[in-house]
Amino acid sequence: MTEVLFPQLSDEDPNGEGVLATWFVEDGATVAGGELIAEVMVGKVTSEVHAPAGGAIHLAVHEDDVVRQRTVIATIS
Amino acid sequence: MDNGLRLSLYRTMVLIRVFEEAILREYHADKRPAFDIGAGLVPGEMHLSAGQEPVAAGVCAHLTAGDAVTATHRPHHLAIAHGVDLDRLAAEIFGRETGLGRGRGGHMHLFDPDTHFSCSGIIAEGYPPALGQAFAFRRQGTDRIAVAVTGEGAANQGAFHESLNLAALWRLPVVFVVEDNDWGISVPRSASTCVTSNAIRAAGYDMPGERVEDNSVEAVYEAAGRAVGRARAGEGPSLIEVHTLRMWGHFEGDAQAYRTDLEGVPGRDPIATYEHALRSAGLLDDGRVKTVNEDAVARVEAAIAFAKSSPEPAPETATEYVFA
Amino acid sequence: MTTTETPATTAPAPTASGRRLTTAKAMVEGIAQEMERDPSVFYLGEDVGAYGGIFSSTTGLLERFGPDRVMDTPISESAFLGLATGAAVEGLRPIAELMFVDFFGVCMDQLYNHMAKIHYESGGNVRVPMVVTTAVGGGYSDGAQHSQCLWGTFAHLPGMKIVVPSTPYDAKGLITAAIRDDNPVVYMFHKGVMGLPWMAKNPRATGPVPEEPYEVPIGKAAVVREGRDATVVTVSLSVHHALDVADELAADGIDLEVVDLRSLKPLDRETVLASVAKTGRLLVVDEDYLSYGLSGEIAATVAETDPGLLRSPVRRVAVPDVPIPYAHPLEYAVLPTRDRIREAVHQLVRA
Repeated sequence: MTEVLFPQLSDEDPNGEGVLATWFVEDGATVAGGELIAEVMVGKVTSEVHAPAGGAIHLAVHEDDVVRQRTVIATIS
Repeated sequence: MDNGLRLSLYRTMVLIRVFEEAILREYHADKRPAFDIGAGLVPGEMHLSAGQEPVAAGVCAHLTAGDAVTATHRPHHLAIAHGVDLDRLAAEIFGRETGLGRGRGGHMHLFDPDTHFSCSGIIAEGYPPALGQAFAFRRQGTDRIAVAVTGEGAANQGAFHESLNLAALWRLPVVFVVEDNDWGISVPRSASTCVTSNAIRAAGYDMPGERVEDNSVEAVYEAAGRAVGRARAGEGPSLIEVHTLRMWGHFEGDAQAYRTDLEGVPGRDPIATYEHALRSAGLLDDGRVKTVNEDAVARVEAAIAFAKSSPEPAPETATEYVFA
Repeated sequence: MTTTETPATTAPAPTASGRRLTTAKAMVEGIAQEMERDPSVFYLGEDVGAYGGIFSSTTGLLERFGPDRVMDTPISESAFLGLATGAAVEGLRPIAELMFVDFFGVCMDQLYNHMAKIHYESGGNVRVPMVVTTAVGGGYSDGAQHSQCLWGTFAHLPGMKIVVPSTPYDAKGLITAAIRDDNPVVYMFHKGVMGLPWMAKNPRATGPVPEEPYEVPIGKAAVVREGRDATVVTVSLSVHHALDVADELAADGIDLEVVDLRSLKPLDRETVLASVAKTGRLLVVDEDYLSYGLSGEIAATVAETDPGLLRSPVRRVAVPDVPIPYAHPLEYAVLPTRDRIREAVHQLVRA
């Protein structure tokens, strides 16, 4: 099982919160390694999140949820 | 320069900065943690003028309420320096019925007939109306003038060039002010402008042009004095370009990833620089600095409180004021 | 001058791919694939380079194609839109971005008198294969000069094709078709459908987008929801709102058909008429100003073809001829919100 982490976008506040702005896949979907799965935002900085591995993805947070950087947002098995 | 004037310039700049910091606070307060541009008590785009205070203070010190000022999408410093009522300015930014535009214009479309102040969000399009105000003032037999302010990016827009030519041709009592803060959103001047200074372009329009290089409020004051004097004496328009500083983003929410000069910005704060100069001259000390700051905070917080306690416009009045 | 050989592509069905993108990313992908395929395509506008477009219309393109093909311009709309016209005349295929459609005032001559008329004035001898992309729409308190739609104004003037995507699938397909079209095409993207993280978004701003290049035909509307009781004709963000209202009203036994025009010029009048013939009731939802525009054009289409198709008068929900107000309660009183759409449908089916 591979964990997908909310990226660290802020150097000044590495434990700060951001938001999961958009999920591009549904819970349970099969994703390919490298596939675009989410877009996140910390403050004014946005970033794409790509699947670190292929497999079935289980989403741990919802769209618009506030999420701390470097916490698990999904797992792929 | 008269010491009273120097302190007055300092106070104006501090008032502006305190206001912009308060708006910054209010703007972001209810947009966390996810920035949603349309959310909160102050929604929409927000373009703040921190760093550009010397332009407003230095130029507007020569003006009275009867002189016109046209400004841009980044207008607060000019509105404040020119004497627009702080309460009604804040209320308009908060979209309230007691605002300058009854909540209909918002922060980029401020109109104050009492001080002949206006601004708009279309680049360079504040220049032509300033010509008209100057034209009217002269026709009405006064020595009132119009000051038209844009950024350096606007100097590449058609209306800028048409306005300079027409103002010179008709010898209108206008002062053109260009705030060169180095960035047109994400585009540096070197990538947008074929000349290194718009003061050069003034010569192409048969008017004097001066560039103030160091964002110094006293240098701005001196240059503006010359330009305003010419205009009032019927000698026609002038152009002043000030190399100023955009301390924050183009708009709030701008991550400024494109910006290569961010590290140096705090060290270039013009208010800190001027405070240091006035301290060295014995005009400011800790006590006085504190008093100026507290006075500004009191005025600004009163304006914010006025705005927040004012009623929102009623939805059923949305189509009123289209026509007189 | 310009000739083009369009690759033959039939548009894949929207559900054939599981991959999802936001409208912004789909638009960028369409542009990137065309720039890859055709070296004569280039993109110019304000803040389209390092910034990636104020509304993410060009994110990543500068890194991929370099500053010779993705060019930041000065704030000189007349000059660079006119430049695009001249470049197109001489065989390049420019995409020029007008940052906000509200800025058209400073450069409209280059668009409506030059870009749009050269082909006609030359008796068909000169082509202008260019695209003008532009951000439209309000709902986030950007005020009177930054919130307009104005497609009625553009569509009124001859010589320009006008496309308005509402979904990621259409965004990619229409930008591809627009770039390949040998005519001037104005591509108007609503900021609220782009799926931007920093602006409130409808879930329909994300959707399936095939990975391969494909076109959505210009001039063809889409029936995005079939129904029996009334036809809602609309475009852009209002499509999402109409679908939301349709979902709600289904529970009340009101079955709406929703037509997404997708193109305003050419206008797919046949699809509108076929739908009204089926339902007998017409509501036009238009975020542009009410009078002298799109909604009147749709009503006239029915009235001059066969007013007998209608069981009740046409209803229009649009912005009521007022500058878009800044204050939130005022802005939302004039926009074509779900509340206004729902109310209009109720009046329509009761009449």
